[in-house]
Amino acid sequence: MSLFSLSRKMKKLKLQKKNAQQQNDQLSKAIHSSLQDQINYIKEKTGNSIDIVIRKLQLKDGKGPDVAVVFVEGISDSKAINDFLIESIINKSTVPSSRPIFEILFEKVVALGDVKEITDWDNLYLSLMSGESIILVDGAQKALSASTRGGEQRSIEEPGSQVTVRGPRDGFTENIRTNTSLIRKRIQNPNLWLENMKIGSVTKTDVSIMYIKGIAKDEIVEEVRNRLKRIEIDSILESGYIEQLIEDQAFTTFPTLYHTERPDMVAGNLLEGRVAIIVNGTPFVLIAPAVFIQFFQSVEDYYGRADIATALRFLRILIFFISIIAPAAYIAVTTFHQEMIPTQLLVAIAAQREAVPFPALVEALIMEVAFEILREAGIRMPRAVGSAISIVGALVIGQAAVQAGIVSPAMVIVVAITAIANFATPAFAVAISARLIRFGFMFAAATFGFYGIILGIIILAIHLCSLRSFGVPYLTPMAPLILANMGDTIIRLPLWAQKKRPALISSDNSNRVGDHQKPSPPEGRGMVNSVLEKGDQDEN
Amino acid sequence: MEKAKISLYQLFVLIMLFELGSAILVPLASDAKQDAWMAILVGMFGGLFLFWINYRLFLYYPELTPPEYMQKLLGKILGTFLAFCYIILFMYSAARVLRDFGEMLLTFAYLETPLFIVNALLMLVIIYAIRKGIEVVARTGELFFFFIYFLAITGFILILFSGLIDMNNLKPILEQGISPIARVVLTQSLYFPFGEAIVFSMIFPYLTNKKKGKKIGLFAIGLSGINLAITMAINIGVLGVDLTARSQFPLLSTIQSIQVAEFLERLDVFFMISTVICIYFKVSIYFYAAVASTAVIFKIKEPSKLTYPMGMVILFMSVTIASSYAEHLKEGLKFITTYLHPFFLMVIPLLLLGIAFLKNRKGGPGGGF
Repeated sequence: MSLFSLSRKMKKLKLQKKNAQQQNDQLSKAIHSSLQDQINYIKEKTGNSIDIVIRKLQLKDGKGPDVAVVFVEGISDSKAINDFLIESIINKSTVPSSRPIFEILFEKVVALGDVKEITDWDNLYLSLMSGESIILVDGAQKALSASTRGGEQRSIEEPGSQVTVRGPRDGFTENIRTNTSLIRKRIQNPNLWLENMKIGSVTKTDVSIMYIKGIAKDEIVEEVRNRLKRIEIDSILESGYIEQLIEDQAFTTFPTLYHTERPDMVAGNLLEGRVAIIVNGTPFVLIAPAVFIQFFQSVEDYYGRADIATALRFLRILIFFISIIAPAAYIAVTTFHQEMIPTQLLVAIAAQREAVPFPALVEALIMEVAFEILREAGIRMPRAVGSAISIVGALVIGQAAVQAGIVSPAMVIVVAITAIANFATPAFAVAISARLIRFGFMFAAATFGFYGIILGIIILAIHLCSLRSFGVPYLTPMAPLILANMGDTIIRLPLWAQKKRPALISSDNSNRVGDHQKPSPPEGRGMVNSVLEKGDQDEN
Repeated sequence: MEKAKISLYQLFVLIMLFELGSAILVPLASDAKQDAWMAILVGMFGGLFLFWINYRLFLYYPELTPPEYMQKLLGKILGTFLAFCYIILFMYSAARVLRDFGEMLLTFAYLETPLFIVNALLMLVIIYAIRKGIEVVARTGELFFFFIYFLAITGFILILFSGLIDMNNLKPILEQGISPIARVVLTQSLYFPFGEAIVFSMIFPYLTNKKKGKKIGLFAIGLSGINLAITMAINIGVLGVDLTARSQFPLLSTIQSIQVAEFLERLDVFFMISTVICIYFKVSIYFYAAVASTAVIFKIKEPSKLTYPMGMVILFMSVTIASSYAEHLKEGLKFITTYLHPFFLMVIPLLLLGIAFLKNRKGGPGGGF
């Protein structure tokens, strides 16, 4: 190809491009009037993709303009399209001369609930790609979109994470409409508001925010909305994308948004005034703002008895600390503070460690890293191979490492307890950050013993205190202390005693429970004689 | 001034932790022999008065920090000079507290670690905290306050149950009359730790409820004084007068003597943990006051930029102010409290209050007495 022809071609291309752009600008406003042009344009724009079905139809009496139905196979409900669109257009539509065909279609023919009129191409493609059917009419510079979203989707199942013994069994699915319906079924109130937006310049993902008007704080809702609107990214494939783009502080291992698969948990949080962010294509719904203590709460705490829930909360806080500092404390004690251990145990540990050639830190690192590898392998492996992993883990790393004199049995116990503690943390997001912080504490302990650990804890506390989630301090209601909300933190008071919603999160409407809700038996039957006698008579 | 809000409860917690900070470590008021606890209580009442002076002064200018109202009261040059003196006092005090702590750690746990390393680690943590702002420090205070009190009460119960306290050690009360107590109060316990609460003048402007701040502050100082007095009384009860006075860290010795149920012994690590936390708060607050005052005087927009250089100064000062711990203690409990503190913690605030009163005779202060 000669240079000349190339440059000419370039020019032509540029011209074409320019023309196309101009055309585009016009087209984003107006839809062509000729049906054939419309169809051609759709074909061109979608690259003749075979799942885009364009069906040309004629009205019942054969008169009148041609009509075409366009939809994307697989993401639309083909039964609805066949029965209520194509069927009715072919069999029911007649054209009176008085009114334009378009209005007739709109009012009488299309037997579907949600039908909209579209006048520009951008909206047309948005509707088409989200599973709606487009009805084009020859001669009309507009189109109809009929809601026929559907296609294959996973049915509602029990959520894989956050399993409970007592509580509802349904979990979110990948479909945003199913998810919102699961929440709406629980909160049957017109004040449950849902706002939709499309995020992702390429994927155009549906993202909804859901909140209860009057309970959620308006500033927080506004903040969530603004942060979502600010997002400019090509794709949103999971709610984690959103989370990373709207969290308050990027450099922290702690999650400042809560994510859950449980509709009852979302409902509970909405009732506390929080905002749910639901993303199409993932069962994980984000909840904002999230505070630290939330990650130690489980829905079951609220369904079960308060005293037991309180005990479990204490246990979980303990678990969190164990999973952070257990190996560090072991290292500190064996290298710096031997005097802390009772003599007999000290002798036993010293005897075990005699055969081990490494300092405690190296020993701990070997075991921890080995365990992390095991855990990672356990997640990635196909299920059939999984049992092999556990055998290797138990025998080689547990038994053989001790016998080979690489680690001491006490260390194996410590690492095992840490691992179990880590698994027992209710929220995975916090468990995984504890997993990381643990290594920092191990190094601190190996260099400075308990001084290092306590400095680490102070740094951790400073860090946690400095975090905010949508403007709400991360450690509320402990720091800053809000006494009225302490009933749902490390202790869980009975529902009748938790009168207030979280102060910094919910708006004014803060009384949840009526007065005098504390249950009591109808009549005292204890030591009061008259009542006792009366009761006896009743029973005769 | 940064944008921050401190609640009354946070003020209470900070004052408590600040007062307990290093005072609980050292043989406080040990010159008063077995009546040390009494000297502490009397000093506490004096401290209440000093706090009242400072708060009263603050109420004349409820939106201003001390350097600003000093400039207003004394004129630009003199006020700036005085404020500068206070900055140095605060930094010096921070360095002293850091040294107290470093020495304590070296004596009982890290015999071969250099003082510099121990101090530097804590200082880095404090710099990190101050960079995050006073609000964060206050919130960490709320978190650790429960923890410290839990440890303290547990320790108290353990000492009680191990039957270590010998009440005879505390007798005879007022053996040599009131004069030794009065001397100790005037030269020591009035200023250290109670008079030191003057640093909180830097925090008052952030208070959400300025009217009630005085009550809460007085309450906190009172409670901390009672706690210190109890601690000192226990120390003397357990160790006896001689040992308490000679011991570098009487509370540590007391805790080391706990032996309950065969396995609750050697609890010094818990002592260390609570000490690190208390010292962290004391140095943080001094350091914050120094940084914030400097930012005000020199009109620095981002006080966080000052944290590293000033933190380094405090760190080096803490290592170099005394060649040995004995010298350090002597300076601290004798020289500083006899010459430096009365002037800066009592005379000048009184003087300022007098000037403020004269200047504002007509308008009157923002809040009531």
